[in-house]
Amino acid sequence: MTTRSPILGRFRYGYVAPAALLVAGLLYAPFVWTAYLSLTRYDGLAPPEWAGLANFGKLFDDPALLTSLRNTLLWVVGTMVLPVGLGLLVAVLSHDIKGGAWYRVPFMLPYALSGAGLALVWSPILSHGGIANVLLGVDTAFLQSAPVNTLAMLLVWTWQQLGVNTLLFVVGLQSIPKEPIEAARLDGASGWRLFRHITWPLMRPLTAVVVGLALVASLKTFDIVWVLTQGGPGRNSETLAVTMYKETFVASDYGYGSAVAVMLTVVTGLASYLYLKRQVAS
Amino acid sequence: MIRSGMATLGVAALFLAACGGTGGGTPQKKTELTLYNDKGAWTKYFDEMGALSKQQIGLGMKPTGYTDSAQYQAFIKASFRTNVKPDLFTWQTGGMLAEIVKQKQVADTTALWQEAIKAGDLSQDLAPYYTIDGKQYCVPMNVAYWGMFYNKKLFDQHGLKPPTTWDELVKAAATLKKAGVTPFYHTSVLFSFVWFEQLMAGSDPDLYDRLSTGKAKYTDPGVVQVMEKWKELIDAGYFVNPGDKTDPGDVMKNGKAAMISLGTWFNTSMTQRNMKAGTDYGFFVIPNVNPALPKTSVIFESGPLCSLAKAADPDASTKYLKWWTTAEAQEKWATTRGDVSANPKVEIKDEALGQITKDAGSGKYRLVNRYFEATPPPVLTAALDGFGKFVTEPGTYKDVLATIQKEADEYWSTHQ
Amino acid sequence: MIRRAVLVVLGLVWLYPTYLLLVNAARPAASYDPATAWAPSGDFALFANFAAALDKADLGASLASTALYSVVSPLLGVVIGAMAGYTIVVLRLRHGFWWFLLIFGGTVFPSQMLLVPLFVGYSDAGLYDTRAGMLLVYTAVNVPLAAFVLRNFYSGVAFSIFEAARMDGASTFRIFWRVYLPISTSALAAVFILEFTFIWNDLLFGLTLTTTESVRPVMTALAGLMTDVYAGTPVPVGLAAGLMCSLPTVLLFLATQRLFARGLSLGSV
Repeated sequence: MTTRSPILGRFRYGYVAPAALLVAGLLYAPFVWTAYLSLTRYDGLAPPEWAGLANFGKLFDDPALLTSLRNTLLWVVGTMVLPVGLGLLVAVLSHDIKGGAWYRVPFMLPYALSGAGLALVWSPILSHGGIANVLLGVDTAFLQSAPVNTLAMLLVWTWQQLGVNTLLFVVGLQSIPKEPIEAARLDGASGWRLFRHITWPLMRPLTAVVVGLALVASLKTFDIVWVLTQGGPGRNSETLAVTMYKETFVASDYGYGSAVAVMLTVVTGLASYLYLKRQVAS
Repeated sequence: MIRSGMATLGVAALFLAACGGTGGGTPQKKTELTLYNDKGAWTKYFDEMGALSKQQIGLGMKPTGYTDSAQYQAFIKASFRTNVKPDLFTWQTGGMLAEIVKQKQVADTTALWQEAIKAGDLSQDLAPYYTIDGKQYCVPMNVAYWGMFYNKKLFDQHGLKPPTTWDELVKAAATLKKAGVTPFYHTSVLFSFVWFEQLMAGSDPDLYDRLSTGKAKYTDPGVVQVMEKWKELIDAGYFVNPGDKTDPGDVMKNGKAAMISLGTWFNTSMTQRNMKAGTDYGFFVIPNVNPALPKTSVIFESGPLCSLAKAADPDASTKYLKWWTTAEAQEKWATTRGDVSANPKVEIKDEALGQITKDAGSGKYRLVNRYFEATPPPVLTAALDGFGKFVTEPGTYKDVLATIQKEADEYWSTHQ
Repeated sequence: MIRRAVLVVLGLVWLYPTYLLLVNAARPAASYDPATAWAPSGDFALFANFAAALDKADLGASLASTALYSVVSPLLGVVIGAMAGYTIVVLRLRHGFWWFLLIFGGTVFPSQMLLVPLFVGYSDAGLYDTRAGMLLVYTAVNVPLAAFVLRNFYSGVAFSIFEAARMDGASTFRIFWRVYLPISTSALAAVFILEFTFIWNDLLFGLTLTTTESVRPVMTALAGLMTDVYAGTPVPVGLAAGLMCSLPTVLLFLATQRLFARGLSLGSV
């Protein structure tokens, strides 16, 4: 490559160093401790006792973990379809019409709400005898039985996250060069064909961001479940992150909780690696 | 291992200009103590106590509130290993207290208890909850008795009076049910243990105690019978749907259920909703299921306020705990929150709550430690989930008990 | 026309829960009944509820520090992340993909598990309960997102821009600062909004790493009002507290709207 002149080389590492150091020091380093704990028996108080791979062995015969895996998978798939899919729809529909930004405001507002606020708004809606029951004319407790409770929470999640995905898609749409679009228009392309063959491939860099972020976030789903059902009733809406949190902090079984955390991290890391390798490394 | 990572962090920190904040440094004589607690919503009440203590004993106090108790407990446990030491902190009685006492982290308050009992500021009945291997630790931060809050208007409307026997209670439920009113409240989240604990304590309190110390099993016939009794009540349609997410305060106010079993602190919810004791709502002690028991079982909850064995200024911490138990301090603490007090001298304004406090103090009841404190955390976690499942699918009670017992077996095999 | 209709209908569906929030936050605290929660109340008690929430949570001292964290950390995070993205894509850093993975990898750890080690590390390093410590952790959490968005954004920018600037003799840093940062305004703004909101609403780090009022974020004071059963807070007051917390973020959304209007980016370059 002709562009790699020596001057470009001199400070390059200096430019990535702050990012790499911050991430390594504040996010990687603390996790080393968790990885170590996963190999011990520890209650957060008495010194950890070495336990080898016992905690990981337990992962395989814990029926609750299977539920968590299934729910987590539901969260991943659901997130790709709803907040991401609908987010794309809203972005595409609104990005080039006059006043488009104002059409997007209703979707952005819910993102401002904190977790506790989210629970306060949605509990009366999803409650048995709640507003959704009245509006839909049914008699279902939406947060009770699986998988209805996870699907209901997925809708709440969509309500909150849609705007963010839309925003990122809009940034992607805006960064597209105008020439290819104009050229295709002159060739008579429009509507779906224009989008499918010209716009969509060009917005790939930001689509990769939205999907990549959604993948990681959905695998780590915690807050919304914690505030709405705490993983219940009877653990039937737990996700991997909720199981991890409960085992570690509520049941004070740091060893097993850390093992779940390590597994979750490996799964998330692997999924993002495989996805990013295809989408980003070019 | 972690330290090496933190060295990187330290270097990174040097790049950033430090600004503001307090941190480090441990002065020997403190004039203001920090009080860590998991009752973030009580910050205002703690602040008022801080102002009062400054005025009365020249020692101020600032609260640091947490909102998630699991996260809070993890933080406190971790703090024992660091130089960030809370001067005072709230905790839980039962296994949680025993655990940190065993690690020699908690300051001994035996002398303080002896004096306070002599002065009439603390009752001897409370001491067992704060005693580990013959010594006392911490002082009561709050106490609460559990009973039944009931909607007075609904009771009057259907000609009902607070029941004095279990049969009367069930009969009242049947009357309400017939009239289209849901008698009882229960939930699948967090407070899912309430009815289990109440029915256990009212049927066989000794079995309840043995259960919490691992000497009885959840699959024992006595426990199974309790679950069957509970199921019977659910099947009769006496409970609200556990999928109803309405705040219990609003359940009571709007008559969605006529009766809610909660601790005396629930009074705060009532007063915040402008409900008047005696006209809008009332409170009664839940009668025993088994009438042959010598004393009525009352669920008792007490949260300790502790100080560390290696506190920055142990004298100041002890002085504060001592002040906390006095009538002057407790008067304020109880009245601002509309709750009861651990100090028998404090006059409780609410008639029903005043009565139960007095009766409990005079030994009329058998006080039973609340399930939440009595049960070790891993078993509790499994049990809360189990009861949550049970209330949504009552038919699963045998599986539920077996699941809890499995966790209990695992716990007691290493903690006997 | 169809497009606008779809947007309006979907938008109305989205506004319904927001409407419920507003209606019930404005309801007198003692007259909340979930059975009639959708109907607006005749009495307007929003400000009384605000006052009730404020009375229980002393926010004065925390506001300044929260504002500091939620503005400065995203700014630092965005610039540091953008610089990394620029270096990887535009300067074609060797093994760029792996550097990128290293930085993005910061997001895969479940943050709840970082709390205890971070707390222990912070108390050893004297960063516990300091504003610098909070800025540091928030910045670190923000960097991966910024690096990811900007890395991909820059990969869509024509390399000829860089070459042209090099011809003019600009240094690599100057090109970053004067050319690449300005053309990515909308991406930077989007990242800033996300990160601002994250920090503003954060409870995890705020609770665990601070204690004094002047360092502790606002959210830690308000969250208890909304969730704690011991507090017995009436629902309208809880909602009012939630609404109050959200206001700064909503204002930020509205203020930045025009950045996302068509035609502001350099499009064809």
